[in-house]
Amino acid sequence: MADTHTDIPSWLTTPEHYRPGSDRDGFISRSLLSITSALAFFRLDDGREARFSPSAPIKLVVAFVCILLVSLSRNYLFVLVMLAALLVRACLLPQASLARMMGGAASAAAFSLVIMLPAILLGQAHAPLLLATKAFVSVGITLCVALTTPVWKLTHALRSFRVPSIAILTIDLALRSIVRLGETAAEVLCALSLRSVGRNRNKGAAIGGVGGVVLLKASRSSQETYDAMRCRCFDGEYRASSRATLKPADAAWALLLIGLVALFAYLQGLV
Amino acid sequence: MHIPENYLSPSTCALATVAMLPVWASAIKHVHEEVPREKIPLIGVAAAFSFLAMMFNIPLPGGTTGHAVCGTLIAILFGPWSATLAVSIALAIQAVFFGDGGILSLGANCLNMAFVLPFVGYSIYRALKDRLGGQRGELIAAGVGSYVGLNAAALLCALEFGIQPLLFHDASGAALYCPYPISVAVPAMMLGHLTVAGFAEVVFTVGILAFVRNAAPSFGIESHKAAPGIPTPILGLIVALIVACPLGLIATGDAWGEWSTEDLAGMVGYTPAGLGNGWEWSALMPDYAVGSLPAWVGYIISAVIGVALLVIIFRLMAGSARPAVDFDA
Repeated sequence: MADTHTDIPSWLTTPEHYRPGSDRDGFISRSLLSITSALAFFRLDDGREARFSPSAPIKLVVAFVCILLVSLSRNYLFVLVMLAALLVRACLLPQASLARMMGGAASAAAFSLVIMLPAILLGQAHAPLLLATKAFVSVGITLCVALTTPVWKLTHALRSFRVPSIAILTIDLALRSIVRLGETAAEVLCALSLRSVGRNRNKGAAIGGVGGVVLLKASRSSQETYDAMRCRCFDGEYRASSRATLKPADAAWALLLIGLVALFAYLQGLV
Repeated sequence: MHIPENYLSPSTCALATVAMLPVWASAIKHVHEEVPREKIPLIGVAAAFSFLAMMFNIPLPGGTTGHAVCGTLIAILFGPWSATLAVSIALAIQAVFFGDGGILSLGANCLNMAFVLPFVGYSIYRALKDRLGGQRGELIAAGVGSYVGLNAAALLCALEFGIQPLLFHDASGAALYCPYPISVAVPAMMLGHLTVAGFAEVVFTVGILAFVRNAAPSFGIESHKAAPGIPTPILGLIVALIVACPLGLIATGDAWGEWSTEDLAGMVGYTPAGLGNGWEWSALMPDYAVGSLPAWVGYIISAVIGVALLVIIFRLMAGSARPAVDFDA
């Protein structure tokens, strides 16, 4: 039998006693965290319509008018009516959508309150509360629309409002690319954190590396997407047939919107 | 029974809040351990019953008003710890959004209505239910439990009011906070609650419990049937209560101990210093009212906002709860 010890190199037999120097990886973990949260926010492809949802164009109009009226309203009752309606709608959302909607809307309201904190401390709490309620309702409506409408229907709705095709293409690709490139950035940062053993003094240089990789990927991805769309006969035009998208529930929503505008006008007259 | 801002001294409020902290912690722990995840949203619906019951003001002897709380009802349906959590959140929403009850005195209000009331009511209910047996026996036990529970809470509330002039007064003997001593506060509070408000609590508790047992037997912790959503009869009852809640406006006047500072000054001849200079929270809809519009409009919008908020809070709570997976099954 051969002596096994002769096969092992001498450097392998000596204990290494390697102790990597401790280092803070706040930069990487914070970047990863912010990218992950941004990804979660932009991942809009889980929108599901409810039974009595209007068609996407009507939904966009209703949401836009509601946000506009809430912003213009000087009567607190109108804002509270909208708040009540939004909360009732939120009760009917699926669990995950409810958590996202409430999280987003509550964060916006809390941010408004923090901004207006000096006014509260000086005893003027009414205006900050009004502002926070308006922020809650506006962000809540926006998130509600995003969470209950598939992205392709939103694109479709934009086209039916005669928004230029190039703008829709840009928005559509941007929303999708943000998610894809965010995932790439997260992967690169994860690789960086795995390779950063011990003290790494050149973390600043890594920012350029991450940015460069993402830029190259973005360039290649956009070219591939464009080529794929050309192969599928996409000529840069989004075609939307306005006839097929309308639903019977739209009439009820249109009436509701008219009623809301009338209520707004009546309540504004009382101020 | 909602103690307003500045009627209790800051030290009394702090003591009550500190006393409630372990109770709230224990309530959260018990709810997560004892209530199945899919049933937690239904506690929000039960809390909505409590919220709406507290909006039905009833005229009491002496020109004041009172209301039911339904704490014992929630304790019967979901356990006393769930009732503590549900009524506490309902009281917090009332205080923050509608100015019903103070922010500083929230701990004291929760101690009375969210802890003492459901636990006393539920203990009596358990003791009587086992002896009486049957659905009729259950309803009688619920009625007696809710009556005693509400009056126990009212008595504690009266004592909290009554000790204020004894402990906190200036050199001239003028009260700094609530000016009425125990000899006035206890009879004044108990007269209305023993004669009318206690029976209102019985009507709400027994009526809703009988309805739930017949129309939606799966509503409640005792039923192990999975509840995919809010049962339709319960939803109908909530909507009916929301529509009917402006009836609470028929009772004019304030509840005992819930007067405005000006009204109190008119009654006792001076403004207690703590009330005059105390901190005041600017609620979203003070007293469930909106400007100069009819009171019933504000009442209905408040009811919708309150009920929706309670359902949302408990649904989010259910979402944060870990699913109980039994790997041995």
